[in-house]
Amino acid sequence: MTISIWRYSHLTLAVSSFVFILLASITGIILAFQPISEKLEPYKVSNFENITVAETISNLKEKYPEVIDVQVDASHFVLASVITNDGESLNGYINPRTVAFIGDKIEVSKFFKWVTNFHRSLFLKGIGRFFVGLCSFLLLLIAVSGTVLILKRQGGLKKFFSKVVNENFSQYWHVVLGRLSLIPIIIITITGVYLSAEKFDLLPKSSVNHTVDFESLSETPKQDIQDFPIFKNTKLSEVKTIEFPFSEAVEDYFTLSLKDKEVVVNQFTGETLSEIKTPLVTVFSNLSLNLHTGKGSILWSVILAIATANILFFIYSGFAMTLKRRKSKLKNKYKKDNSKYVILVGSENGNTLPFANQLQQQLIKAGESVYIAELNNYDIYSKAEHIIVLTSTYGEGEAPTNANVFLERLKTVKQVQEISYSVVGFGSLAYPDFCKFAFDVDAAMQLPFKQELPIFTINDKSVTSFEEWVTLWNKNRKLPISISKEKLAVKPRLNNTFTVVDKTKAEDHADSTFLIKLKPNTKRFTSGDLLAIYPKNDYRERLYSIGKVNGKVQLSVKLHENGLGSGFLSNLNKGDLFKARIIKNTAFHFPKKASKVILIANGTGIAPFLGMLDQNTKNIETHLYYGLRQNASFNLYRDVIKENYKSKKFTKLKLAFSREAPKNYVQDLLKQDALFVAETLKNNGVIMLCGSLAMQNDVLAVLDVITTENLSLPLSAFIEKNQIKTDCY
Amino acid sequence: MKFKSILTVCFLAITMLSFTTIKESTSYKCMIQMINYTGENAYVVISLINPEGEYEKTLYVQGDDDEWYHDISEWWKFYGKKRSSIDAITGETIAGGARTISVLEIEDSKIDAGYSIRFETAVEDQEYYTKDVEFLLTSESVKSKKEGTGFIRYVRLMPN
Repeated sequence: MTISIWRYSHLTLAVSSFVFILLASITGIILAFQPISEKLEPYKVSNFENITVAETISNLKEKYPEVIDVQVDASHFVLASVITNDGESLNGYINPRTVAFIGDKIEVSKFFKWVTNFHRSLFLKGIGRFFVGLCSFLLLLIAVSGTVLILKRQGGLKKFFSKVVNENFSQYWHVVLGRLSLIPIIIITITGVYLSAEKFDLLPKSSVNHTVDFESLSETPKQDIQDFPIFKNTKLSEVKTIEFPFSEAVEDYFTLSLKDKEVVVNQFTGETLSEIKTPLVTVFSNLSLNLHTGKGSILWSVILAIATANILFFIYSGFAMTLKRRKSKLKNKYKKDNSKYVILVGSENGNTLPFANQLQQQLIKAGESVYIAELNNYDIYSKAEHIIVLTSTYGEGEAPTNANVFLERLKTVKQVQEISYSVVGFGSLAYPDFCKFAFDVDAAMQLPFKQELPIFTINDKSVTSFEEWVTLWNKNRKLPISISKEKLAVKPRLNNTFTVVDKTKAEDHADSTFLIKLKPNTKRFTSGDLLAIYPKNDYRERLYSIGKVNGKVQLSVKLHENGLGSGFLSNLNKGDLFKARIIKNTAFHFPKKASKVILIANGTGIAPFLGMLDQNTKNIETHLYYGLRQNASFNLYRDVIKENYKSKKFTKLKLAFSREAPKNYVQDLLKQDALFVAETLKNNGVIMLCGSLAMQNDVLAVLDVITTENLSLPLSAFIEKNQIKTDCY
Repeated sequence: MKFKSILTVCFLAITMLSFTTIKESTSYKCMIQMINYTGENAYVVISLINPEGEYEKTLYVQGDDDEWYHDISEWWKFYGKKRSSIDAITGETIAGGARTISVLEIEDSKIDAGYSIRFETAVEDQEYYTKDVEFLLTSESVKSKKEGTGFIRYVRLMPN
């Protein structure tokens, strides 16, 4: 219910800070290459971890008359400042074993300095730093609100990393990349905020002040530097800096800054004069700096660069989505109380709006008065005769944002006159809760209104399906509406290629039916999924239920006169290639676990079942009821089915022939086996239906009688428990 | 024999030459100890001042973010015009209570010749001390300790 708040925050934050974020990201990407370029220098020696402070210090002392200090950076390069025997001051990288100079100090190039400055403060000094810090914080909030949106979208923490459905480019990659770069971005922003807070004295100031008792300082017992226990026991890798004594006076000492403490050491006796733990604030500061800049790790620098580049993409894709949502605004010609038709739209991303707009335009063209509104704006329509609901579903069967209060409003807003309604659900079969909200709306509207057409579902913005619904609706309403397909057509993404490997001829079959086997370039599909083909390479789509046989796609197709899809497939020859796509249809997959499965098909509806039998390697008890016209119709399948029976892929086959004595249908066979069917459902068995819609209606009616009589439950109880799966056309 | 003596002469000549060039300037260790103030780290600029009291040369700059340099206004009037490269003589800003050791190169001809060394300090949103520490360069003073008047507690100088 709170999606809108999160989305609104996500967007508002992004809009208010995107300019700064854009600048900071671009400069950030450039800066990621600084540690990379530094780290590539060859100043690190092998087995660095084994070198002790004593080794380096005593070697330095031996070789150079004056040593000022030694620093160890994040890349484990050792930088020393010394004065040589020639009185020359040297400042550069040394080999910590031989203490020979191996390179000059890397000066940060003018360019990187300039970019760093811009990144930190946009050349605006204090004010700029504040803004950059603030935007870093805002980006953190954006990341958090984005996470919540992904959680809502994916339906919970467990599914956070499950597959994202590819609806459109911007949206898909916004979510996918958002998940991947979430952690780096959160780290970048938190450290960025921390570094800014530090600059603005928002953190407790910490200064390390040693108190040395100068009165009791002693030069005895004198020890060699390489024997100082503290130097012997400290590895150079733990060191940040070593400051050498300023002079040979006993009051001057070694200052050893380690990662976790700072120690002051008597230069003669090696005695520890004072030791202070590094304050937590400083530890965090160093950690923040390293994490934010990628210092010392090429891998992390690269991750930072990629994550930052993603931010640029989020800015682009985020705005692309927003503009798309804005574009599809609703406009009305007629007032709400003057319209005969009311179209109510529910849409998360505006994908449903073109359909609604098209319907509205065509109705107006046909001389009808229409009012269009979002579901949430549901109101009293005093002249309305018919309400059409076009709605999508969000996340796990929830309402889209602009429809989330509709079901509530439906209870409170009362219409005066009698109104009929039709619901069209838009969704994707790839989601388990296909069109769930549309079903909820349909059920809720049955109370106050009269259902004119049963709910109609449309997969994946299919224009063809919408056309089908318009035809049905026209017939009922006696209207001549025809929608403009060109305006709705979205060019399908045909990501799969199929090669014909085997095909029977339609002419050889009694009912002009043929089997076609295709070799796909993917393995990610299973029986029950759908193959969408585009015979004319335009918006016109034809769906076929897939049987997966030996890893191939097998279709059973009946050649219709002038049939677009069947004609196309029938004309293919062995070896031909074509592009199409596979639509996941999780609702019609063979159950992974079930006590018993009953498969019911007629005609070409056998196609997915042939695959399911082939794939039934667990030998789940399966019973097949199959309706055909005549015995000859079965010839096409006889051999394979026999083969399946031999390998115990199913237990029982019952055939019904509608044009040969005793002339019966599958539902008649089911009636005969009523007790068996009831028993199956009672024991959590699954019934699957594939074939014509006419068969589906008849079979469901028979099943309802069977369950009511034998189990005292309506069939709907089993439909709700997903024990009845249908895929009919 | 002859060859060896030529080699010796050459060697002597080279050492003499290098000896003379090196002796033109001396490295000094310089320690700056700050007072315990709170706030941003301090920028410290060390300059050589000629007998007329004008800037002659920048010896060291503690603070490498040149975006703030023009806030050290007196020095900026001198340095800002030419902006000679000071990369080799820049260090980090110094925090309150902290100390830093750096190496200064001062030409020998400037000692006992009326030249001074100046330490000016500036902290963002706080004071700017043009002459936090300033003293005449003499053979005595280059190995001494001088108290500061601003952010600097004291400065110690030591010839190498």
